[in-house]
Amino acid sequence: MHNSVSAAGAMLLLALALTAPQPGAQSGALQNDNHTPLAAAGQAHSHRRGAMKLLLENAEGAQINLWKPDLTRLPLTIEHGIVTLPATGVDNYHALVIERDWGYLHETLIRYLYLHGKPSGHSTSELTAAEKSSFEIVPDPVPREHQHYRSDQQWRFQVRFKGAPVAHLPVELLSSYGSRLSAVSDERGLVELRLPDDFPQIETGRRDRRGAEFTLSAELSKGGITYQTRLYAEYRVNPSHWHSLELGILAGGIGMLAGGLIGRLAVRSSR
Amino acid sequence: MSPWKNVSVLRKLVQLGAFLFLVYGGSLTGYYLEDKLSGALPALSCAYDMQGADLCTLIPFQHQMDHRLGEAIAGGGNLMLGLMPTLITLATFLILFAVLNKAFCGWICPLGTFQELLHNLGQKLGLQRVESLPSATVQRIRPVKWLILLLLVFGLPLLAGIGWVNHDLGDPFCKICPSRILTTLANAESTELYVDSASSSTLVLSILANLLFGVMITLALTVRQPFCRICPMLALHAVFRKLGMPRLVKHAVPRCDRCGLCAKACPMDIREIHSEMQKRDVTFEDCTLCGRCVEFCPDKEVLQLRYLGFPVFSADPAYFKQRKQAQRHWENTTLLDRRKSGTGKAGITPP
Ligand code: SF4
Ligand code: SF4
Repeated sequence: MHNSVSAAGAMLLLALALTAPQPGAQSGALQNDNHTPLAAAGQAHSHRRGAMKLLLENAEGAQINLWKPDLTRLPLTIEHGIVTLPATGVDNYHALVIERDWGYLHETLIRYLYLHGKPSGHSTSELTAAEKSSFEIVPDPVPREHQHYRSDQQWRFQVRFKGAPVAHLPVELLSSYGSRLSAVSDERGLVELRLPDDFPQIETGRRDRRGAEFTLSAELSKGGITYQTRLYAEYRVNPSHWHSLELGILAGGIGMLAGGLIGRLAVRSSR
Repeated sequence: MSPWKNVSVLRKLVQLGAFLFLVYGGSLTGYYLEDKLSGALPALSCAYDMQGADLCTLIPFQHQMDHRLGEAIAGGGNLMLGLMPTLITLATFLILFAVLNKAFCGWICPLGTFQELLHNLGQKLGLQRVESLPSATVQRIRPVKWLILLLLVFGLPLLAGIGWVNHDLGDPFCKICPSRILTTLANAESTELYVDSASSSTLVLSILANLLFGVMITLALTVRQPFCRICPMLALHAVFRKLGMPRLVKHAVPRCDRCGLCAKACPMDIREIHSEMQKRDVTFEDCTLCGRCVEFCPDKEVLQLRYLGFPVFSADPAYFKQRKQAQRHWENTTLLDRRKSGTGKAGITPP
C-alpha cells in the first residue's frame, strides 16, 4: 500500500455513509436481488422518486454539488450532518461531488447515484467524462444503468488530474468488511481491481441480498498542494453463490438431447 | 445463378451484418442504455448482452408492467402516469416497426439468424430434416406465442407489480429467453447459463431456460425456426402488422390450387399463403417477410414483397428456374457427402 494514501487516514477527512431513510433504499439492506438489467432497477434504485438523505461527517467548509446527467449542478447544503438530495426529476446516474479546500490540502469525495424520473436523454459517459473535481477517480465504466458492482468482479477505474489521466499512481480499495486492495495506474491512468468477495457467512445456493460499501482512494501532490480523492460505491454479493453453471450446462445438455429426439420424431412423422 | 441475384444470399448477408452489429456493436453505439439505438427494438437483441448495440422491446415492457403500471395499480396511483412509459416504449417500437414490419424477424433478429444458421448446418451435415411440419402440429403450436406474450411479457410482470406474485416473476420471459443465453455466450460470457436456486420460481424458470435453449439448438438442425414459432415478439408483430410499410401481397391465379411451392418454401409452414385465394395482403401472423415464398413462386407476379404499395421483389418464372437450380446445387453439397439425406426433393429448404 502506498504510504501517502494510508497517511491520509490521519488527516481531515469527510466520512460519507448513505442513510437508509426507507427500508432497502440505498443502504446495504436490499429488498430484492434480481440481477436482470432492467428489473434490478426496481430493487437497487427502489424506483423512489422522492428526496434521499445522506450522512456526512466532519464536513465543515465542504462544498457539495449534485451533478445531473445533463452536467448542470445543484448546490446542496448540510444540516446536522445530513445532506438531502432533492428529487431531480430525471432518470440516470447523478454524481454527488463533495470538495473541501484547505489551501495546502484539497479533498474530494464522489459518489455516483442512480436517481429516477423522466428519461434524461443523456449518456452516463457524459457524466464520467466531465471534470467534476480537479482530482478524481472515475469508474470506467459505471455499472450500466440498473446493474451493480458485485463481489468478485473485475472493474476498471481511471485516475484523472484536471481531466488528464495520471499514470503510475497507487490507488487503494477498502471495503466495509475491511478488505484492502491496491493497484497502480497504468499509462492511461487506468487501474483494474477485482472487488473482494468478502461478505461473511455466505451460504452457497442461497440468495444473499446484502450490499456493502467500498471506497477507492488516491493521493497526489502538485505545486505544494496535496490532493486526496475518494470514490464511494456500493457492491453486492455475486449471484454466482446461488447460480450453478454446472447445473445450467447439464440442463442445456438435457435440452439438446430432447431437441435431437423431438427432431427425429418430427422427421419420421413428416415422411 | 449469381449469388448477388439470389435473394436468400442477400438476406443472409443482411442477417449476418445485423447479427454482428446487434450482438457486438456496443463499441460503436456506446456502453450505457442511453447510448443504445432505440431501447425498443422489434427483435430479440438482448439487454443482457453488455456489448450489444440495442435491446429488445420485451424487456422494458416487462419492467414497466412490474415497476410502473403494477406499482401504480397497487399504490392507487395515477394509472395514466403508470402507463406512460409503456406508451412511450410502444411508440418507439411502432416507429421502428413501421419501417420493416415483420422483416425484423426474417432479416434482422440475431436469434432468428442463429436458428437459420443451425438449420444450414444440419443440411451441411447431411441430417434428415423436416420439410414441413404437419398442418395439425402447426395449428397446435400457433397459440403458444400468444400465451407467452400475454402471460410472460405482460401478465405475470403486472401481477408482480401489483404484489400478487413474487418479484422473481417480474421478468419471466427474459428468464426463459434463449437470446439472453445466446448473445452472452456469443460474447464469451457464461454468466447467463445458470440454474438459479434463489427461489422456487427462479429455479423452475432457469431450468426451463436452459432446457429451451438446448432444445432449440438441436431441433433447429432438423426443423426450421423452432423457437420463432413460439416467440412472443412474433405475436407482438402480428398485432401491429397492418401498420408496417413492407407487406407480402398475392394475386392468386387458378394454378395456385395445384402448386403449393410457396408454402413448402416457407420456413414457418404458413400453408395459408398457398390456400388463400381472396385476400391481397398475405402478411399472415407467423410471416417473417423473409421472401422465400416469392422466390419459389413460379408464376409471374403472383407473390410480391411490396413497400408502401410499390413492388420491390416479385415472383418471376426466370428467377424461379435459376433459384431452383441454385437450391439443388446447395442441397447436394454437404460436408459429409451424404447426398441422399436432407429434404432435397422439392429443393426449397434454405439458404
Ligand atoms: S432476455 Fe430476451 S426478452 Fe429479455 S431482453 Fe433479452 S432478448 Fe429481450
Ligand atoms: S420470431 Fe424468431 S426472428 Fe422473430 S423475434 Fe422471435 S426469435 Fe427473432
